[in-house]
Amino acid sequence: MLVTGIKSKPVYAPLRYDAGGRYHVMLGQEVGEAPLLRVLGDMSGSPEALARTRVLYVPLRAAAAGAAPAAAFGGAGVADVRIFGTTAALLEAFRDLLGRALMGTRLYVAGPESFIGLAMKIALEFNLNKDEIRAEECGTRARRVYCIHCRTTTENVRTNIVTCGGCTRSLLVRDHYSRRLAAYMGVMADAEVPGELPPIREVFA
Amino acid sequence: MTEAATIEVEVTAIDQVTPLIKHFRLAPVDGGTLPAFSGGSHIIVVMHGAARAHRNPYSVLSPPNRLDAYEIGVRRMEESRGGSHFMHDSVRVGSRLQIAHPVNLFGLDKIARKHVLIAGGIGITPFLAMLEDLYGGPVPYELHYSVRSPEHAAFLVRLRRREGGRVHLYCDSEQQAIDFEALLGNQPLGTHVYVCGPGGMISRVAAVAKDCGWPDSHIHWEQFSAPPVGDAFEVFLARSRISVHVPPDQSLLESIEAAGVEVPYLCRGGVCGFCQTRVLEVDGELLHNDHFLSEAERASGKTIMPCVSRARCRSLLLDL
Ligand code: FES
Repeated sequence: MLVTGIKSKPVYAPLRYDAGGRYHVMLGQEVGEAPLLRVLGDMSGSPEALARTRVLYVPLRAAAAGAAPAAAFGGAGVADVRIFGTTAALLEAFRDLLGRALMGTRLYVAGPESFIGLAMKIALEFNLNKDEIRAEECGTRARRVYCIHCRTTTENVRTNIVTCGGCTRSLLVRDHYSRRLAAYMGVMADAEVPGELPPIREVFA
Repeated sequence: MTEAATIEVEVTAIDQVTPLIKHFRLAPVDGGTLPAFSGGSHIIVVMHGAARAHRNPYSVLSPPNRLDAYEIGVRRMEESRGGSHFMHDSVRVGSRLQIAHPVNLFGLDKIARKHVLIAGGIGITPFLAMLEDLYGGPVPYELHYSVRSPEHAAFLVRLRRREGGRVHLYCDSEQQAIDFEALLGNQPLGTHVYVCGPGGMISRVAAVAKDCGWPDSHIHWEQFSAPPVGDAFEVFLARSRISVHVPPDQSLLESIEAAGVEVPYLCRGGVCGFCQTRVLEVDGELLHNDHFLSEAERASGKTIMPCVSRARCRSLLLDL
């Protein structure tokens, strides 16, 4: 029951500044701060580009919150920095922003894969394509897992087998990723012999 | 594509819509239905002139849901090698022509959130059919149509009757010009732009869109090049083991076809890439006129699009 080599698992590359864009929207969660600051560093020679850059960031951990991130982004020369208390609030503001954004916008996303997935899902609604989006994975590899039986999404999954938050089935976490749902598929792990499960291990640290 | 795949049509109506453009209606001679197509498609029209056959691509401008006839618009080209002159001067109501099945190299993006259509002169024709697909649908769109002067604005009545405020006309004669920066700099995310018109207009739109940060995947254009006239040259076809003479006013593709060798094609205008042929040897220079090959491919000297490109050479050996 090994689940490797499935093509839909997204691959990410280190973020880089795209000078071909006219507007730049940067989203970060938690440790995503570092890659964004790196990109902003690459932009330091173009004040016009920095003036057309917006940063939306959610620190998550209390220790990382406070004035520090805002100051860091501000120090990199970005005028428009917004720090959010929750990922949901950030995504809502992001959707709102895209609704008003113009062609020529480039999107940069940095953070855990679960965060990237949620941001991509919104970007897709606006028909942004791969030429307009860059994403760098960093931080926790925990997955969002969609139960194909009851359609509940369980967050923050770190193990190969997880109990579905909706139907309590034991789900095997597959590498099969849905962009539309921004989640990995979870299928009943003991469908053949009820109760017979492979060893549970932490695999998505 | 072989001649067998063509459809025999009869010209059932001709309209002189501007001083330079004629509008033709082509109905199947057997009275049946023509193949279905989508907005932006073109057909190749085969004309049997006195000296030789011409095969020219023309956009189908009639509504895609009307299959009893196709309509095309033909502009009289000043430097025509005969195709457009033949259509203007020799074709009458009742004339018979052959056409190839429609092919779409200029279709609308299916998931676009908005469409911006830009036409210059005769470049309006593919948009007439596209607009039929867009009309009444949920996706917003607008058409910017640039012409020399009001009398050159073909199909304007038809456009205005239905599209109303979505059609913006610009006349050179009134010093009106499309402000490409303003137009392309203010479009919502997910917009696609389509341009058909003179080469200068297409490169301008592409350059401005790029400057405004548009990715290539959102920029669409169509321009069929007419094969230019050039010096005569000789070509040897390695697999067929024959040599072919290419006269000044005949394209490489036409000359190869006249010698009885088939080369696949869809557009005959340097756009689709179907006719791409391997160059095995050239003693001289390839003269590329297509819109398909990359700079690197051209520089390699290993490939050519015979529908529009020629050579200035002592000898040319093709893998045909
Ligand atoms: S036939 Fe289309 S490029 Fe030559």
